[in-house]
Order: sequence, then structure tokens, then C-alpha cells
Amino acid sequence: MELHAVDSLDAALDVLATRGERCQVLAGGTDVMVQLARGEITPAALLHVERIEALRGIEVDGPITLGALVTHRELAKGVLGDGFRSVAESAATVGGRQTQVVGTIGGNVCNASPAADTVPALLVHDATVTLRSSAGSRTVPLSAFLVGRRATTRAPDELLTAIGMPATGEGSGDVYLKVGRRSAMEVAIVGLAMRLRFDEAGTVTEARVALASVGPRPQRATGAEAALVGGPLEPDRVDAAASAVLDGVEPVDDLRATAAYRRRVVPGLLRRAAGICAQRAGR
Amino acid sequence: MELSFTVNGRPAALEVDAADTLLGVLRDRLRLTGTKEGCNEGECGACTVLVDGLPVDSCIYAAGAAAGRSVETVEGLSGDQLGAALQAAFISAGGVQCGFCTPGFITTLVAVLREDDKPSEDEVRRALAGNICRCTGYSQIVDAVAATVAGRVAG
Repeated sequence: MELHAVDSLDAALDVLATRGERCQVLAGGTDVMVQLARGEITPAALLHVERIEALRGIEVDGPITLGALVTHRELAKGVLGDGFRSVAESAATVGGRQTQVVGTIGGNVCNASPAADTVPALLVHDATVTLRSSAGSRTVPLSAFLVGRRATTRAPDELLTAIGMPATGEGSGDVYLKVGRRSAMEVAIVGLAMRLRFDEAGTVTEARVALASVGPRPQRATGAEAALVGGPLEPDRVDAAASAVLDGVEPVDDLRATAAYRRRVVPGLLRRAAGICAQRAGR
Repeated sequence: MELSFTVNGRPAALEVDAADTLLGVLRDRLRLTGTKEGCNEGECGACTVLVDGLPVDSCIYAAGAAAGRSVETVEGLSGDQLGAALQAAFISAGGVQCGFCTPGFITTLVAVLREDDKPSEDEVRRALAGNICRCTGYSQIVDAVAATVAGRVAG
């Protein structure tokens, strides 16, 4: 196996243009190196992109733009500010310090694990991903980029270069909650992110709910979102959202938990999340 | 590919494969066996080393990614003032039982205490989430960190 070490985006795109099919992109390596050792992936070459400085930027003035190489540790420190606490909270639960200092947001997205912690937080912020190739560039919603368990629409010649999120407005609150058997170093049994926006009268004007580790890919819970919008966050409204949170979602049985357990725990998480969002929004 | 990097302040150069891990290079090629192999999949922290000051699990760190970088292992940290202070505090507090996890803990803690010289107990416990110890129950380790922090403040 070869290792292509590049320090510019153009050089990386050149390698992917000619050898993308058989090349595995390597950033922090915290997923890739494990998959290589287990024989789950057998690329002919690794493309080490982690030294491309242009992919490390963080823009927080107005809309957020994150370079693909921004690390979980940077996000966990709260660099995006109070409007993006779900992103910080999710990044803080990706492995331990050793994983967070080298593991990247672009890597977490491209690895497309059903249990990816940061993905539901990005989904509730309507994140987009930008992919570059030597032929051009495209920006697509994250929800369309992730198509299944470990599956994305990334073409072999493309590199995920940036993640974008609109600024959150006044009266917004967000949170990421995770259920695991222990609080450290745990792959989520269920991860739930929520973002609510309220107007001055306390009416929920915008709601986003996303789940990880429930179905084959992290996904929005649109039934719960619809139930939350349109009035104040009263118990009936939260009950309706809790009842609808699994509409269109097929919880899975796996080695971490049964589908039945997931069905029981998700509505409770949604209730807790709603309370925290309201509190953080100051409503 | 040829890998040139710095290990504990000394230059090293050797031929490595793309699939080689930094842990394998350190232990099997450079004979720095203080760094331990535990789970070999980035869960237990026994293999923690510092790469340009950052604590990484060397078992899942591509050796080639260390090119041009500065790696510190527990052997190098024994000559570091903070590393030596932590080591002494671990011994006094009973933070070492079987000792297999100790190099990883000391290495992680050097990085943590270089960044923040007075972390709270909660911050210390969170920072150590990626280091597993099956002997001590962690309390003695947290005590050792507290003693090190107190010693630095006093000293």
C-alpha cells in the first residue's frame, strides 16, 4: 500500500482524479486506521490530507464555515459560540481526548457511521457539505449526502472540503443528548440533537430534531419537528412530538441495544431536549 | 516510504509501510517499549504518545503521518520536569498497580497540564476518559494529579 502525502488541495485533487477509486482519504485516522487493521477496507493507497492548511479554517462571522480538518477538540471547546452548543456537546463525546485532538469533522461525516455523534447536531443546524474535485465543486445538504450505513454520495474523485451552517437567530436553543452504558468512550445507543427557535411570544417558530444510532444513518425526525412548531412549548405539544419522534424511523436491533429499548428511550430524550432548548433560548 | 521525525528530541529516520502504526515503529523498530499496546483500536489509551504536543493513540496513528513531527514518549517524559513530577506523584498516591496503563496516563496528563496548569477534578476526569485503568479505580490517579498540581503551584 502506498501513502500519498500532500500539503495542498490541488495536489490532493490530482491524486483523487487519477486514483480516487482505489484511494482511501486519511485525515486523523481514528476510524480509517482501525478499519485497515480489521481488514474492513483494503485500499491500494492512502491519501494523507491532514496537512492541507486551507482545510483547517473556522469562520464564525455570520454563517458558519468549517474546514473539513477542524478537530472535535476545537469544536468541543465551543469555538462556534452559544448558538451551536449541540455541535460542541456532540464533538465532546467522540471518543476520548486522544481521538478528539486528531479526529476531524470531515472525517466523522465521511465515515458515515450510523452512530456518528456530530452528524445529528449538524443536521439540526441545516448543515451543507462542499465537495471539490479537479472538475469542480458542489454544495449539497448533509441530509442528502448521507444515504445509508457507511454510504455517502461522495464520488471517488471528490474531497469533502467544508461544512456550512446558517447563523442561528435570536431566541434559539440547541442541545445534543446521548445515551450510552457509560458516559466516557461510548458509542451512542441513541444520540438526539434538537434546535428550537421561539418568537418573543414564546411560540416555537422553527424546530429541528435529528437522531443517531437509531436507524441505518443519522436522520431528521420530521414528525416531531412538525408537532413542535406553531405554538408555545406546552406539555401537550411536547407529548405530541414525543409520540411522533419515531415516525418514518425504523429503530435497529444491534449489539448495543434492542430496537424495543430504543423505542422506549427516544421519546424521553426528546422531552428532556425540548426543556433544555427552551431554557437555552431564554423562553 | 522513508519516515524522518524526531523522537524524544533526537532525529530518527527509517523505512516504513503506509499501514504501519506509530506504535509499531516506536516499540518494534526503535525499541521504545515504554509505550504499551492495549486494545490496539484506540479505546484504552495505553499507547498514548505526544505528537507535536498532542496526546494521540499511537496504535491508530499512521506512522507516515508523523513525518517531520516531534514525538514524545514516556521515556522522554521521564526527563521532563512535569513528567517526572507526575511519575513521583503516581508512586506516592498509589496510582500505579499493575502499571500497564501508567505510561499512557502520564503522557496524557503531561499534555493536559501543559495546556492548563490548574484543571479542576472534573476536568481531569474528563481529560482521562480515553485512558483505561482496571486496577486503581482511578481515584488514586486523580489524587496524584491533584498532588502534582498543588506541587507546581507551591513550587
